[in-house]
Amino acid sequence: MDLHTKLKILGAAAKYDVSCSSSGSSRRNRSSGLGNASLPGICHSWSDDGRCISLLKILFTNHCAFNCLYCVNRATADVPRATFTPDEVAQLTINFYKRNYIEGLFLSSAVYKNPNYTMELLVTTVKKLRKEYQFNGYIHLKVIPGADPLLIAEAGKYADRISVNIELPSSQGLQLLAPQKSRDSIIRPMEFIHSKILQTREERKLYKNAPLFVPAGQTTQLIVGATPDNDLKILKLSESLYNHFSLKRVYYSAYVPVTQHPNLPSIASPPLMREHRLYQADWLVRVYGFKADELLDENQPLLDTEIDPKSAWALRNLHLFPVEVNRADYEMLIRVPGIGVRSAKRIIAARRYSTIDFDILKRFGVVLKRARHFITCNGKFYGERNINELTLYQMLKPTAKQQNSTKVAGEQLTFPSLYPQLFQPEDVHTVITGEM
Amino acid sequence: MVYYVYDGSFEGLLTAIYEAYYRQEEPEKILSDDNIQDNLFVQYVYINTDQQKAQRVYDAIVHKISSSAAKKVLYAFLSEAQDAGTAIYRYLKLGFKMGKSVDSALADPYVFRIHVLHKKVSQEAGKMLGLIRFRLLKNGIFYAPIEPDFNILGIIAPHFKRRMPTQDWIIHDVKRKLAAFHSQGQYAILPFEFKEALPLDDEEFDYQTLWKEYFQNIAIKSRINPRLQRQFMPVRYWKYLIEKPGTQTKS
Repeated sequence: MDLHTKLKILGAAAKYDVSCSSSGSSRRNRSSGLGNASLPGICHSWSDDGRCISLLKILFTNHCAFNCLYCVNRATADVPRATFTPDEVAQLTINFYKRNYIEGLFLSSAVYKNPNYTMELLVTTVKKLRKEYQFNGYIHLKVIPGADPLLIAEAGKYADRISVNIELPSSQGLQLLAPQKSRDSIIRPMEFIHSKILQTREERKLYKNAPLFVPAGQTTQLIVGATPDNDLKILKLSESLYNHFSLKRVYYSAYVPVTQHPNLPSIASPPLMREHRLYQADWLVRVYGFKADELLDENQPLLDTEIDPKSAWALRNLHLFPVEVNRADYEMLIRVPGIGVRSAKRIIAARRYSTIDFDILKRFGVVLKRARHFITCNGKFYGERNINELTLYQMLKPTAKQQNSTKVAGEQLTFPSLYPQLFQPEDVHTVITGEM
Repeated sequence: MVYYVYDGSFEGLLTAIYEAYYRQEEPEKILSDDNIQDNLFVQYVYINTDQQKAQRVYDAIVHKISSSAAKKVLYAFLSEAQDAGTAIYRYLKLGFKMGKSVDSALADPYVFRIHVLHKKVSQEAGKMLGLIRFRLLKNGIFYAPIEPDFNILGIIAPHFKRRMPTQDWIIHDVKRKLAAFHSQGQYAILPFEFKEALPLDDEEFDYQTLWKEYFQNIAIKSRINPRLQRQFMPVRYWKYLIEKPGTQTKS
């Protein structure tokens, strides 16, 4: 089989993995080598579905021993199969990288023969790239569920980031749709990677040259809409992953119906709006300091599809508003709908030297259409008087015209459904305040 | 009303700012010589570029304001915006009074303008780090043509120097007829233009095809969204992208 056919098959097979970022690592180039990593990450292109292409995202092979129902590559599926050799992967990576097509390699794989055998192939490939080809660009490696911890430890020496996909947010879901995977085979490697990262961090405090271990941390991915799990459950899961395993990102992937099966929900198109709202809520948890419990509860376990989660939170907490922009602290300012991290920082900086008036807010990029209902500016309120939650809800909704203009092929896509360059909390400083 | 006119170089602009402090009449605006229009009520004063005066102003920015202010001023200059010279002058005037805290005085329209220009230029430079496409020529040099909105060649060249130190490469700003030439860890930015198409290496076509095929196959068909794609990757950058062949800029 020639390289073109292999790349077509194994590139297409990797497309449902959503992780795309190349951030979080500052691996440096050595004098004779090729490549380095850029801390905030770099996007190189955007595919026709609007998702960013940063890394050469491929499967090593799509021959699979597992039979997960939601997956195109499951053992019983009738699809063309292919397998790369380590040198083919290395040469593709090097040659794409030299032409600046990509920021590095994202290597995943179906389970070929058994988890350890596959994991070993992946580690061999990455080791080859680093040692033989002198490649110092970004490498993201997928952990095969069930692989030996020794192999994961070896992989972490060469990769910038590794990830274990949770895929389904509950063990019942896994049992139903991916019977060969278990909660344990997913959580245990995450735990192991986390402790290894902590250990390396301590070692590097003592010895500057102690070897790196996944400097860009670990991430995971959840499929949304393949099982009946609600948003509250998903968001709580993400929150605990951030808290307990210091995950850099949790990616959400709207379930794309690729096969039919009685255990799978029958839907016409992927739930993109739900995915989008989850990303927004996730963002609020990671960057804005919200708790999952503040955004959702048992009585309201689903995110509102009409308005964004921050507006929805503000409407439920009208007693906290309006806030005075000249006095409110940063934590409160970023909770105002229409004020983001960037505009809040500008307000904080500017008001040390002059009072902020309404015109300045406009210039600072505050979305006054939303924000005016929740703020006062020099004591003056610019929103409507005598207004209640319900009328405000109607005003915060995107208008029918806005919705129409964003309709694509019968689907409703109001906003980018995937943030392009997915930065982590520690990057916020460089990405958002770097320009201030 | 007095306008100062400089020769379009960064040093020229800094010289004009130097003169604005030491001459009698204070300029209303500072303009580059390629965007002046006849105006009866304006007296144009042409400033001769002086390396030493420029250096003194630059050192003063770094010492009396901050090195990040110096960077912002340079980026604002590279935006080639008509009002950049004047905004830089007003920003520095305030900066010499306030010191490094000038960057917090965002309520001031000139300070804010500098911040906006700096952001625009660094955003485009950041985007270009990903959107540049090198082509391997017959003579072993990697060549990348670009047409950025701003004059960012000097900002992006060091990135590729660090990343590809053993590769010979040229990044060519076709619009400004400038190119960064790199060989063995050193680069220079020089005027550059060529008449004939450069001959490509034989294996180049193979990798271009591989990349195009990969690009086609990575998109999920049920989520096709050209609007989102264009939002992140504006059509005006498509001209030199391998994966979007022959797509000319639509106005």
